[in-house]
Amino acid sequence: MFKTLRISFALKNAYRVNAILFALKQIPLLKKALPQSLYQAKGLKIFANILATLWELITIFLWKALYFITMVCGIGLLYQKLPTDQSFLHILFWLTITGAFLNTYIFNPSRDKYYAMILLRMNARSYTLSNYVYTLLKLIIGFLPFTILFGRLQNVSLWLLLLMPFSIAGAKLIVTAIVLTDYNRSGNIYNENKLQKYIWFAAALLLLIAYGLPAMGIALPLAVSIPLWIALIPAGLFALRYIYTFDAYRQLQQELLSQMAQQMDGVKHAAKKNSEKAISTNRAFVSKRKGFDYLNELFIKRHQKILWQASLKITLVCCCLLCGALLAMSFSAEIKESINLLILNWLPYFVFIMYAINRGTGFTQALFMNCDHSLLTYSFYKQPSNILKLFRIRLGEIMKINMAPAIVIGAGLSLLLFVSGGTTNPLNYVVLFVSILCMSLFFSVHYLTIYYLLQPYNAGTEIKSGTYRLVLSITYLLCFFMMQVKMPLLLFGCVCIVFCILYSITACILVYHFAPKTFRLRT
Amino acid sequence: MQFIIEHLEKSFENKQVLQDIDFIFEEGHIYGLLGRNGAGKTTLFNCINRDMKTDHGNFYLAENGVRREVLPEDIGYVLSTPTVPEFLTAREFLKFFMDINEKSIKHPASLDEYFDRMHIATEDRDKLLKDYSHGMKNKMQMLINLIAEPNILLLDEPLTSLDVVVAEEIKQLLRSFKDGRIIIVSTHILDLAVDLCDQIVLLSHGVLETVDKANLDNHAFKTKILTALREEDHV
Repeated sequence: MFKTLRISFALKNAYRVNAILFALKQIPLLKKALPQSLYQAKGLKIFANILATLWELITIFLWKALYFITMVCGIGLLYQKLPTDQSFLHILFWLTITGAFLNTYIFNPSRDKYYAMILLRMNARSYTLSNYVYTLLKLIIGFLPFTILFGRLQNVSLWLLLLMPFSIAGAKLIVTAIVLTDYNRSGNIYNENKLQKYIWFAAALLLLIAYGLPAMGIALPLAVSIPLWIALIPAGLFALRYIYTFDAYRQLQQELLSQMAQQMDGVKHAAKKNSEKAISTNRAFVSKRKGFDYLNELFIKRHQKILWQASLKITLVCCCLLCGALLAMSFSAEIKESINLLILNWLPYFVFIMYAINRGTGFTQALFMNCDHSLLTYSFYKQPSNILKLFRIRLGEIMKINMAPAIVIGAGLSLLLFVSGGTTNPLNYVVLFVSILCMSLFFSVHYLTIYYLLQPYNAGTEIKSGTYRLVLSITYLLCFFMMQVKMPLLLFGCVCIVFCILYSITACILVYHFAPKTFRLRT
Repeated sequence: MQFIIEHLEKSFENKQVLQDIDFIFEEGHIYGLLGRNGAGKTTLFNCINRDMKTDHGNFYLAENGVRREVLPEDIGYVLSTPTVPEFLTAREFLKFFMDINEKSIKHPASLDEYFDRMHIATEDRDKLLKDYSHGMKNKMQMLINLIAEPNILLLDEPLTSLDVVVAEEIKQLLRSFKDGRIIIVSTHILDLAVDLCDQIVLLSHGVLETVDKANLDNHAFKTKILTALREEDHV
């Protein structure tokens, strides 16, 4: 068994190390510097191995610490009515029972198990058991310092705290034995990543008991909870015997992991299928235009669900929010004042909102999956003049789609500013409205430009460009960062307008220069 | 017309896939491009189609002794997995294609005539392409490429997943289409290559070389090709 554990460990490590090296290979610039023989480089492997081992060690304690800080003690602080030890033991007990169902290890079909037991045909019983014992040991070692530390803070006796990690392991063993018995009897497969509705319901109920009862001043008395905690240990040992003698691990894992294999294949085609689903089959959608205008009109009409309809829904929500804000202001002068201050100082916040509601990524993804993916294989489509003609049409289209909510937000904010008490400088109204429109313009141009300049997909519809991913992440981070910026409306608005216009012009120039070369399928 | 490739090279990091491709393809012929797995057939096609940058070398079209650059419209590339815009019906796709290429299509016909030629049934013509079968998509892709009448037609593993009737139809079409054009078919199926192609070209060790049929019958010719491909292991 020890040998199996060692092999499974080496396998998991090899897979983690290669994942780290693969991630390094995705970083632009660095990827050119790293040779294909990277996976042979000993030094790097050792480095990645150290990282993987460190991660394994850190996680033994990290999650447990977070669990105690937030779930057990953090929330426990709210309950002042009960003795601290009583609420601590109550919450932890019910959470342990919930966790035993939701986090079983054996019934979690993961990739490393798929590789080991299905692809490499390792002995399923010995693989499952050795790894299960290892997981339980990690759990006991990981819990011990924190049960003692946090338990002592809540005045729980030390001897009980020393036993607690074993009780938690016992709870897991009991649940595993129950699930295995059920499998033996009925053939039901328990997959902790695809839980049945009744399990979710039971988990919700257990959480309610864990947190709800103490809120009402009710908790298991120590005379009940302490014996329960202790009873988990012999019951766990009894369960361990059953788990050890259970003889259908191969069959069980085969069934469980075959679901996993389908999932892995599924992910590849999911994006493509989703995009295909977005195509409307309504026969009334036709076009009287010609050439690229014809193509574009049909594309937009048949993708209404993800383009115009989505955008109009957002517009409607904005209208409702606007009405809500106007109504709220009519009730309270305080709200008026704070909305006035908010608009005058927190315009940067709206960069993130405009980022969140723009349809750029959805548009470009649908463009590729349902249109360019196929048409880019035809030479007539790749002629420079045609690429640019279509870019112009598409840019107009995405600008229109994004503009609808932008107009409502821009005009709405100006209206709110006026109603909430106005401003001394009337220029504020104009700048507010125009800057929101410019943000919308910016996101329209931005997404279409990076799509044309970096065209990240290959013929198999996989994203092959690390740079594209990086640009998307940076866009997100910058927009997120803008939420923290407080700046006067006029200043930020003007800077924003100038930036957006300059960016859009530059982007279009770049597209005109480079897109005929860059807008093609990745190989 | 000739399609001339001169000293074409392409490598990926340390692996040189195309070493020194030097070859002249003549019009009116169908060339069967054969090579072992990983020999670089798709890489060669991608280079010719300019989907991939070459490291070295060049290729031209020569008409009456005058050389000129190969333009995108000179090339038609039919991939093994058929790709058609799923949100259009077959008729709409064809109409769009005809609109765009109005000026360059030499012998325009009506849309239905084209469908008839390709044996695409009337009831299928107004169906969304996303609901087309693999074989039907393949036909549609082939149709577009044939109407464009490119000077060079590249076909990557054609006919592999088509039923025998459609495969035979497409073979006939290609034969009738070869006059005045160069067709290069990359395939793993030796029978198809020998049956359809006028010349067999091997891609091995990064270079192209023809296998001369001379007076051999089909069986002897296949044996000769196989021997040549096997030799790769021993060099």
